[in-house]
Parts: sequence; structure tokens; C-alpha cells
Amino acid sequence: MYGWILVIGILTPLLGALLLPVIGKYNVKLRNRTAFALVAVSFVCAAAALFGVFGDKLFSIRFALPLGLSFGFRADALAVFMALTASFVSMIIVLYSYGYIHHYENQNEYYMMVVVFVGAMMGIVYSTNLIALYVFWEISSLCCWRLIGFYRQEITIRRANKTFLVTVLGALIMLVGFFGIYGQTGTFELMAMNGVHIPDWTVALILFGILSKSATFPLHSWLPDAGVAPSPVTSLLHAAVLVKIGVFAYARLFILTFDVSKSFQTIVPTIAAVSALYCAGVAFKENDIKRVLAYSTISQLSFILLGLSCGEKIGIVGGLLYILAHSTAKAGLFLCAGIVEHSLHTKDMRKMGGLAKQMPLTALAFAFCMFSIMGIPPFLGFFTKHMVIEGIIENGNVLLGALFILCAVMTVLYLVRLYIKVFFGPLNFPTETFTAEAFAKVKEGSKIMVVSVMILGIASLALGIFSYLPSQLASMIWG
Amino acid sequence: MNYLNYAAAVFLLIPIAAIAINNICPKPYMKKNFHTLTGTVAVFQIAAAAYALCAMNANGLTAYDFSILSNLKITGSALFRLTPVSLIFLLCIGMVAFVSVAVASKTVESMRISYVNLLMTMLIGMNGMVLVKDLFTLYVFLDVVGISSFVLISLFRSTKALEGSVKYLVISEFATIFILTALAFIFMQTGSLAYQDIGGVLEGADGSQKNLIYLSIALLIAGFSIKAGAVPFHSWLPDAHQSADTAVSILLSGIVIKIAGVYGLFMVVSLFPGVRAVQIALAAIGVASILTGALLALRQTHFKRIVAYSSVSQIGYILLGLSCGTTVGLIGAVAHVFSHAAFKTTLFSNAAALHEQVGTLDIDKMGGLQSRMPVTSLSSVVAFLSTAGIPPFAGFWSKLLIIIALWTSGSAVLGGVALIASIFTCAYLLRLQKKVFFGETPEHLKNVTEVKGGIKFVEIALTVITSATGILFPLVLIYLQSRGLI
Repeated sequence: MYGWILVIGILTPLLGALLLPVIGKYNVKLRNRTAFALVAVSFVCAAAALFGVFGDKLFSIRFALPLGLSFGFRADALAVFMALTASFVSMIIVLYSYGYIHHYENQNEYYMMVVVFVGAMMGIVYSTNLIALYVFWEISSLCCWRLIGFYRQEITIRRANKTFLVTVLGALIMLVGFFGIYGQTGTFELMAMNGVHIPDWTVALILFGILSKSATFPLHSWLPDAGVAPSPVTSLLHAAVLVKIGVFAYARLFILTFDVSKSFQTIVPTIAAVSALYCAGVAFKENDIKRVLAYSTISQLSFILLGLSCGEKIGIVGGLLYILAHSTAKAGLFLCAGIVEHSLHTKDMRKMGGLAKQMPLTALAFAFCMFSIMGIPPFLGFFTKHMVIEGIIENGNVLLGALFILCAVMTVLYLVRLYIKVFFGPLNFPTETFTAEAFAKVKEGSKIMVVSVMILGIASLALGIFSYLPSQLASMIWG
Repeated sequence: MNYLNYAAAVFLLIPIAAIAINNICPKPYMKKNFHTLTGTVAVFQIAAAAYALCAMNANGLTAYDFSILSNLKITGSALFRLTPVSLIFLLCIGMVAFVSVAVASKTVESMRISYVNLLMTMLIGMNGMVLVKDLFTLYVFLDVVGISSFVLISLFRSTKALEGSVKYLVISEFATIFILTALAFIFMQTGSLAYQDIGGVLEGADGSQKNLIYLSIALLIAGFSIKAGAVPFHSWLPDAHQSADTAVSILLSGIVIKIAGVYGLFMVVSLFPGVRAVQIALAAIGVASILTGALLALRQTHFKRIVAYSSVSQIGYILLGLSCGTTVGLIGAVAHVFSHAAFKTTLFSNAAALHEQVGTLDIDKMGGLQSRMPVTSLSSVVAFLSTAGIPPFAGFWSKLLIIIALWTSGSAVLGGVALIASIFTCAYLLRLQKKVFFGETPEHLKNVTEVKGGIKFVEIALTVITSATGILFPLVLIYLQSRGLI
């Protein structure tokens, strides 16, 4: 009975989004509010599902189909945790979009795709069938394609296509892996496959899909390139929500469902370490503010993957909490970068400087989110980073632990470099195009944009101080 | 039950009646109203197919014999048979014919009377093919389809069209020779070409007889593969489909290759069930078509040529479905015939719209048309996603069924290759989308407007069909399960 709440949480944004272009034709304000309301419905449904998790009976519903297919939804602790994180951040991003994109074309498509994306995300987290998971996975790629191609320039279209091709290729290869499991078990039902040992080649294929979606080295290059999208899109897709699909799938499939070979507890952390170090290194070299943040995202995703794959409880709980910490904080960073870009019309950090004076609130929110990513106590990022590294060391792999500590140090350094270049120091504007007078006129972003980033900044701090709340939920996931 | 008889008669008699009306009525009047006449025929066909499907389902029939102008009680007088599968093919024929007419109302300016005559002849041929009960009549109707297509392609007398038509004619003649020879060999063994008499021919045969039958099977497969435009017999297809008028290309790509080619192969598979050689041959042709078609499509710059090569590639998926020899495979193949009919006609309607509004089909000369032609753009995006098998559109489900069938019948590697080959489909269609609809608008295209009338209507209708089929396909699965088919 309560299972219908999940169906509402998925279908409201998926179907409601189709109305947005129609509404947008007549009333722009109503469209924006409807978009927010649709995402809020998902959040409320996810919150309602908490009762199922803390009560004795999980919300679930299942529509059976032949051939081992079905559309089944089940809100266990992992699903609710992800749904809450994703829909909360998405709500903030929709709010922020009011200010950011109000003067561009194709807004109807934009809001529709953002809301469809949230629906697809809800579908992914609640699904109990591999094919259903794939269906929603591809819908999310589709939204990603349209959202990155928001500006209709040659380069944005090309990069949108690149992202689409990489993620769809990953998904197709993953689907081959799913079929490999199907060939062995005759079903796509996750519940029927609890604890089943699956062959290594299927794990490898599925891992390919996961790494392509979560932009892990060597399948990462679409993510920094996708920075040509509007900042709220970058924030939604490439920081907060989309890239978390991959790590979520890892948790769902390889931790909670299948029994995979022990060797992957070394292989995956090693891939993660390479990805983390390489991309942290590249982040030092980049001068485009969004590309620095994108490389930072790839690097941070490796921490999550490390936590989930190390095989120790503390690491896994840490990895899950890391998803929450990184979603909130990195979304905030991208949105702040959006405000800066919006006022200065450039993404090049070499042309920025001293903005702390002009944009004190943005600078403050940026600092809060940044501290969380760096892992400064008492922000949430500190606890999670501590837990994942402790996880790998408990597993006995001290070398990898050391590498990740090195990477954490690098994170601090490149973020400080970014912060100093953007917010402190002298102005670095080319005088002929951007004079000192023009600089003096640079102001904060619109009220709604600043409020959005402040919410995310404060959330990063508050979640750290009250970290026992989310960790209670996260520790339930592993049972 | 009586109504079912009437419905069955619609498929053959109404097109004949339409030809009569077309030639009796005064020419100026017909020229003005040619699309009303042909459109009505198509609507009748769709309605009759849908009705017959429901009626057969309600009565629990799996086959219904009927005849025209002769008494059913005489043994052997029933020349025709309706089955659920043939009805789905008939439905597709009606749908594609309707789209072709709607597009023709814009694109066909001259030769309208001939267009109607030929279209109706082609309709009789295709309907006849899926209704008959013996291979020889099938062959006769196949040639009716072939000849009307040659003339339709070259109807508007451009040099390119003539070239395409002659190429098609010459290569097709090989197909007819192959098929006729095969029929002769089979006739030598059985003394009959009725489907029910051919069934067990391989069991009773020995040594040299067996070889002869295998030879005739090979000839049949080659002949029908030529008609289907499958690799390595595909070279006529892009030329013919590109050079014909778009209303004709819709017919060719949307349905003719499927009736003349795929339906023939479907008959081969059902007449010789479980023959390993047939399955291997179809699988090999299928995989080759998927890969070659997609790779060649990547290099083209003409809108219709890309879409034509995409047909080669998609036919490959249908053949893979047939090659499994299982019910799921057949269902997947038939489902893909339907979804392919829907998305391929959409893409050709887009081509017609672009040709009308922009005046060229060279994708390098277009760009940024999305904001100027929103309906065309949206429908082509939906068709592209359906072609690539991206959920939740129709193409996803039919491909999924085909892959499941491949996997469960033991061809896991083929299934994997077919799946991953979808990325090429994505690639060439993304390229097309980027060059035509997204990106920046060149100066000379600033004043392009959306197409109106018939083309716009079918674009919307087909988009709705593709999306609705995709979203409601789980219900089809549940229905098939309730009938015990999967």
C-alpha cells in the first residue's frame, strides 16, 4: 500500500515534467514554481519512506512482467539515503536556476530536463530490477545530453554528444554484464539474487558502466569537458547527482546484492587511487574555475569508490556519508562558481581576484563548502574522509591509505590556490575590456542565488556538527 | 465471425476499388483529391487490421482462412489466411501507407494519378504476400511489389532516380531468379508449394535430395536478403532510397524491405524450424548488416542516405531476432518491425519536412533548426532515441526482446555484439542531430519556418505512437504472457 508513495515520488517528476513546456508557454513564473514543486514531491516521498526504514516494514511495490523483468520499487535505507540527498540538492539547484538562467533561450527544455532527471534518479535508487535500473539510467543520460547542450554552440553540442556517447557506451557494456548475470540466474530481479556469486567478467563489465557514469579515470574526460553547460547543470549533473549514480550502483550491486571476488577489493581501490591522484594533479594545472572543480569532483569520487570498495564496515559507511557530504559541498562550490561567472562573464581564474570584497556572502558560502571538501573539522567532509581512509587501512592496505592521504593534502592545496586566485589578492583584469570602474560595479548574484549557496554552505557545516543523524541512517544500510 | 470475413476482404478488395475509382473519375478532380482517396484506403486497412486482431483475440483464434470470390467449403479454395503475425504486418503496412500519403500530399506535385495507381498496386502486393498460404503465390505478389517499386522510384524522372531504380531492378532480378529456382527445387521434392506441405520435407529427404533442399534454402535466404537490403546485398538500398521522392522512400524503407525481405525470411524460418544452417546464416547476415550499415551511416552527408543505411543496420537486428528460432525471438523481430516502421517513417517525414522548408538534404548545409522547426526536431529526437534503443521508447523494448532471445538461445556473444553496436547507432544519429537541429544557425536559414499540414500531422502522430508503445509495452508483455507465448 505504502509502496505507491514511491511510485508517486518517481512518476510525479517524470510525467509532471512534460507539462512544464506547456505551462511555460503561458506563465513563466508558474512553470518555475511547478518545477520546484515537482522536485519537492520527490523529496517529501523520500522523507515519508524514512518511516518505513525506521519502522518495521520497508515501503515496496512490484509489478511483475514475464522473462524475469519487472518494475519493482523498494525503499531500503540506501535508497532513502540517496533519494533524500539527491532530491534535497536538486531542490536547491532548481531555486538557484530561477536567478541563473532567466534570460536565456530554451528554458522550457531546461526545466523539463532537470525535473525528468530527478524522476529518473528516484527510479534508479528505488528500482529492484536490473532492467528497470538500466531504463532509468539511460533516461538520466538523455537528460544529461540535453542539459549539457543547453547553449547551442558548436562546442557545447559536441561535448554534449561526447558525454552521451561515453555514458551510453558504459551503460550498454554494463547491460551486457547484466545479461551475463541473467544467463546464469534466469532473472533480472535483485531480490532473487541476494548473495549470488557472479563471474568476474560480469563484474568487470558492470564496473565499466559504473566508472563511465561516475567519471573515474580513464573514463573521466567527459566530465571536465561538460563544464561548458550552465553552472546549475554542472552542479546538478557533474557534482551532486548524476555522478553519484555510478557509486550508488556500486553500493547496490556489489555491496548489498552480489557476492564478488575478493580481488576486486584491491583492484577497485587501486583504480580509485590512480584516478584520485591524477585528477588532483590536473586540478593544479587548470585555470578554468569550473574545470578545477570538475577535476576535483573526479578526485573526490575516487574517495567514495575507495570507501565502498574496501570491504570494511567503517569504510562503506564513510563512503556513503561521503556521497552526502560531497553532494552538498560540491553543488555549493559549482553554484558559487556560477555566481562569479555570471557577474564577470569569464571562467578564467587568471582574470579574477579580490572578489571577497564584492561578494562577501558568496565567498563565505564558497569557503564553507570548500572546508567540507578539504576535510576540515567540524565539517561533514572531515568525518567522511577520515572514515574511508580508516577503512582501507583496516583492510591492511597501508600504501593505498597513504596515497589517499597525499591526495587529501593535494585537495587542500589546489582549493586554496583557487580560493586565493578568485577571492583574494589584487585584481587581474585586462584593463582594456574590464576596467577598475567596471570591477567596482561587480555585485553579488541575485538574492535567490545567494540564498541557495548559503543553504548549501550552512548545510555542509550543520551536517558535520550533527553528523550522528545521517550516520545513523548510513550505518543501517550495511545492516 | 462474418465481420472478420469482411475485414479480411478489405485488404485486397479496397485497393482494387481505389484503382478503379482513380481511373474512372475525372482527372482534374482526382489530381486534387488523390490524398483523400489513398488516405481513406490506408485508414480502412489500419481499422480492419486492428478490428481483426481484436476479433481473433476475442474468439481465441490463431489462424483464420478466407477466400475471395469462391466457396470456402470446397477443399483448397481458401487461398488466404489471417494470423496475428500477418495482422501486425498489415497494420504496419497501413500505417506506413498513411504516412506516405500524408507526405505525398506535400511533395508529389505531378504524376499524382500514377502515384495512386502504383501505391495501390504495391499495397495489393504487400497485403497479398502476408496473406497467402503457399510459396508460389507469395512469389507472384513479391514481384507485384517489386515492379511497382521500380516504377515508383523512377516516377519523377530524375536521372538519379532512374539510376537508383535500374540498380534496384537489376539486383532484384537476381532475387527473383534465386527464389524461383528454389521454388522449383522444393516443388520437385514435394509436388506442392503450400506451406503445410513443405513443413516436413527435410525429414523425409535423403542424401542428394537433402542437398538440393539445403541449396534451395540457401537460395531463398539469399533472394529475400537481397529484397531486405541486408549486407552483403545492400548496395542498391541507399541509392534507391535516396533518389526516390521522399513519399516513396518512406514506403521503401518503412515497409517494402520488411514485407518483401523480412517477411520472406520469416516464412523460411517458420517453414524450416530448428534448421541450424538457417539460423547461422541469418545470424551472420544480421550481425554483418548491423555493423556495416551503422559504420557506413557514420560517413554520409545526405540526410536520406544516413537514414537508409540505418535501415540496413536495423534490418540486421530483425534478422538476429529471427535467427534465434525461439518464440521470444520471433516476437522481438515482429516488435522491431513495428517499431522500425514507426521510427523510420518518422525520420523520412523529417527529411520531407526539411526538404520542403530548407530546400536541401545535405546535412553540412544545415544547422540550428531546432528553434525554427520544433515539431520536426522533437520528432526526430524521439525517432533517434527509439532507433538507438534508448528507453523508454518503442525501439528499446523490441531490441531488449531480441537480445534476451539471443541470450537464452545460447548466442550470448551475438547478443553482446548487437548491444554494443547500438553505440554506433547513437553516434551517427547524434552527428545528424548536431548538424541539422542543434548547433548554430547559418545566415541563410534564419527565416526557415516549421512545416505545416500533412507532414506535421504525421510527425506528431508517429512520435505519439513511438512514445506510447514504449511506455505501454509492459502491458504487451503481460498480454503475451497471459496467452502463454513467453
